Amino acid sequence: MFEVGNICIKIAGRDSGLKCVIVEVLDDNFVLIDGQTRRRKCNVKHLEPLKDSIKIKNKVSHSEIVSEFKKLKIDIKETKPKKTPERPKKSKKVKMKPSNEKKASKEKTATKEKPKKEVVKKKADTPKPSFEKKEIKEEKPSKK
Amino acid sequence: MPAGSKKSGTFRKVFKKTPGGKTVVHYELRKPKQHKCAECGAELKGMPRLRPVEMQKLAKTEKRPERPYGGVLCSACARKKLIQEVRS
Repeated sequence: MFEVGNICIKIAGRDSGLKCVIVEVLDDNFVLIDGQTRRRKCNVKHLEPLKDSIKIKNKVSHSEIVSEFKKLKIDIKETKPKKTPERPKKSKKVKMKPSNEKKASKEKTATKEKPKKEVVKKKADTPKPSFEKKEIKEEKPSKK
Repeated sequence: MPAGSKKSGTFRKVFKKTPGGKTVVHYELRKPKQHKCAECGAELKGMPRLRPVEMQKLAKTEKRPERPYGGVLCSACARKKLIQEVRS
């Protein structure tokens, strides 16, 4: 029944109702098909054989099947395979070990101290003009 | 007593508990039933149970299976019909 070169129609799946040729017999149950469907393995239960058949050698390429189908006036649409989109990568939080945590905490305090020192320096800078003003005031009565 | 529009059979009563401890009635719209096969009457798979407003928001491929007679016949009845067409 199912031999190389038999034309069949697929009954099941999203490509059901399309015509295909048996390219290779794999098992009692499985068969390689090609034609209007994709080139794939298929269960024999999902195929309904027609009376037509083509003379093909075992394991024929896709381009030769396209030319054979043109003689029988069966159109084949050429489709490109879909590119699967990349999965979004989750950024993992690195869990620090207790020995590493102490080092990390020391590093964090060291980095925190630096900006604090800068702020202290700024505060020391600001009161200087106030002292200068007081000196000027003291000078005035002395001149008189 | 509820508002007049909520007394219809399209609404169902759902009892909910508030954080204060009281139970309160909420009126919610019912979901439509599952679609059935046109020949054998079996429930069809791959079709969502949503109100028409929510179905309009979905894409075409999300509402029915990608198969001839998808959304109309079940898979077994579709196979029988394809075989009949081939043999006739």
